[in-house]
Amino acid sequence: MSRMLAGGRRFIAVWGLVFSQLRHHRFRTLLAIVGIVLAVLTMTLLAGTGYGVLETGESQFESADRDLWVTSGPVALSAASGGFENTLYDAHVVSSEMSEYDGVRNAVPLGFHTVYVSDDGSEFDTIVATGVTGSGSAVSISEGEGFSGGDTHYAGGEYDGPMTHEILIDPQLADRYDVGVGDTLYMGGSLAAAESNEFTIVGISGTFSQFLGTPTATARLSELQTVTGTERVDAATFITITLEDDADPEVVQAALQGDFDEYEIRTNAEQLNAVVQNQALVLAGAVTLVVLAFIAGLALTANLLALIVYQQRETLAAINAMGVSRGTIVSLLAGHGFAIGVLGGIIGAAVTPAAAAALNRVAYELTGFEGLVVVETDVIILGLVVAVVMGTVAASVAGWRVSRLPAIDQL
Amino acid sequence: MPADTPPLIECQNLTRSYTLGTQRMLSRSAERPTVTALDTISISIDRGEVVGLSGPSGSGKSTLLHLIAGLDTPTSGTVTFDGTDLKTLSGRRRTKHRLENVGIVFQHFHLLDALSARGNVALPLVELGIKKRDRRVRAKELLEAVGLGDRITHKPAQLSGGEQQRVAIARALVTNPRLVIADEPTGELDTETGAQVLDRFKSVAEDTAIVLATHDPETLAIADRVISLRDGKLVADTSKSADISESGPRSQTESVSSQSNSVQ
Repeated sequence: MSRMLAGGRRFIAVWGLVFSQLRHHRFRTLLAIVGIVLAVLTMTLLAGTGYGVLETGESQFESADRDLWVTSGPVALSAASGGFENTLYDAHVVSSEMSEYDGVRNAVPLGFHTVYVSDDGSEFDTIVATGVTGSGSAVSISEGEGFSGGDTHYAGGEYDGPMTHEILIDPQLADRYDVGVGDTLYMGGSLAAAESNEFTIVGISGTFSQFLGTPTATARLSELQTVTGTERVDAATFITITLEDDADPEVVQAALQGDFDEYEIRTNAEQLNAVVQNQALVLAGAVTLVVLAFIAGLALTANLLALIVYQQRETLAAINAMGVSRGTIVSLLAGHGFAIGVLGGIIGAAVTPAAAAALNRVAYELTGFEGLVVVETDVIILGLVVAVVMGTVAASVAGWRVSRLPAIDQL
Repeated sequence: MPADTPPLIECQNLTRSYTLGTQRMLSRSAERPTVTALDTISISIDRGEVVGLSGPSGSGKSTLLHLIAGLDTPTSGTVTFDGTDLKTLSGRRRTKHRLENVGIVFQHFHLLDALSARGNVALPLVELGIKKRDRRVRAKELLEAVGLGDRITHKPAQLSGGEQQRVAIARALVTNPRLVIADEPTGELDTETGAQVLDRFKSVAEDTAIVLATHDPETLAIADRVISLRDGKLVADTSKSADISESGPRSQTESVSSQSNSVQ
């Protein structure tokens, strides 16, 4: 009982000593806390970025409001066409056939092409253009009326109907060229084609620029195919299918897959995985960021506390020489690590959302993607826990090692 | 001291050698060079005795202090404290032994700058699990005894060198140790302050054996006995009656060498 009492008194006294030292060495304490805050931020923001890269991709698929994705062969970026490879041929016919299936509300082929674009026909930039079929009802319009009428140029696959020369552009493109609804832009797959094809802007839409993360113009698929020279094979990147509200995606997927076995039909999540698996660098980058974040947080915390302990080695040697036990010394340093870890962890966790918001603003300006850094509550809690646990463990280990040094070597 | 009372400290054929470097780059099997800091020293120290250790730098004073305090273990020979061979104690038990029996006054004080004078003095009592109120009372008593009753809440940075030294002395005495060792206790003080500190030291630690390692003749003057070392060997062991200040170390060595042998 008396030993327990003595132990309790020792515990309280050690904590008093911890706080005395933290209070006395305010600047050192402040620097240590800032270091832990940076470690937590490194961990949460890097992990949030890695997670966000995956999450953004998934949310972009979700926000596209499609249920199934039809592709022919692997979905990959193409140096030739820009955007995705257009490997799905006879897109109009295939999508029309798929539209007839039970549970399918519509099946829309999409093609992505790099095109030249100019507001005056003399200086051209390259952007990604998206080709859609029908009246473009799958596109959200924020300004203007959108496409008028149907895809007349397709003409049953003959591509000899009148071209409407209507396009939708996203707000960034409108700003870049200082144009709006009713103005015109030149666009084509080659400079010659662009110079001879003047399109009228009939609406402002951010639908595909948000999806692709780059300024985008949207035209009817058949007209885009014609100005890029891919109309002969009716090429598209994929067909997107929207289902009726009561349709079961897996049932429709199975039915379509049975009849169209030359294509791959995937749900949103499956399609994202397929895209991401083809983008090995993106996937490796995201995973590396998460792993690096964890290691960086650990290393920063451990180094910082080891440094603080090492600074005190002479004092620790002196009190050990006086008879203060190694256990008490390690407890004292563990207390330091715990206190600094808790303070740094809490502040780091508290400023993470604001830091993530600031990073997202920068990321949006640079990439056009919103919410690229996604910091989940779990990640923040993990950051806090790592700061506290690693702070305590690192200080304890460093203290244990220092306490094992012969006291006389330090005095 | 009754004649049959065993000494508090007894050192028998004490030798301490240090290995220089590891020489792994050259050869694992190569014999590593060693330096002998203490060479077969045999001395004993009684309870309440004040012993001065003198000798030039590198003579082995600090090494002998460390061995007597249980901070280090000898390469050969024994250090017995009240009948217990310190070499037989584990590291943990030696630490406990120091806490309960030994007070140390470091040359550079090693006070914790975050703590007040009272907090520093009370620090060893924390390890003993003593109540906070009792710790504060005991620390205050000792600070008053060394003339710092009005400075108990001051932190080391607010104290002069002499005051810090007195705090270090109070801290060394707070556990009522049976032995106090002090390495150059006046090394960083001016002559007048050093003399005051030594007077306090001796008056406060009446029943405690004190071992002082120093170059300073003023400090040695308070000792009951002076042990002189040179190159790790004991060259003189003279009682207070010998005139330290007037005879040089070498002549003193010669005059008392037979006495030192008799101590062994």
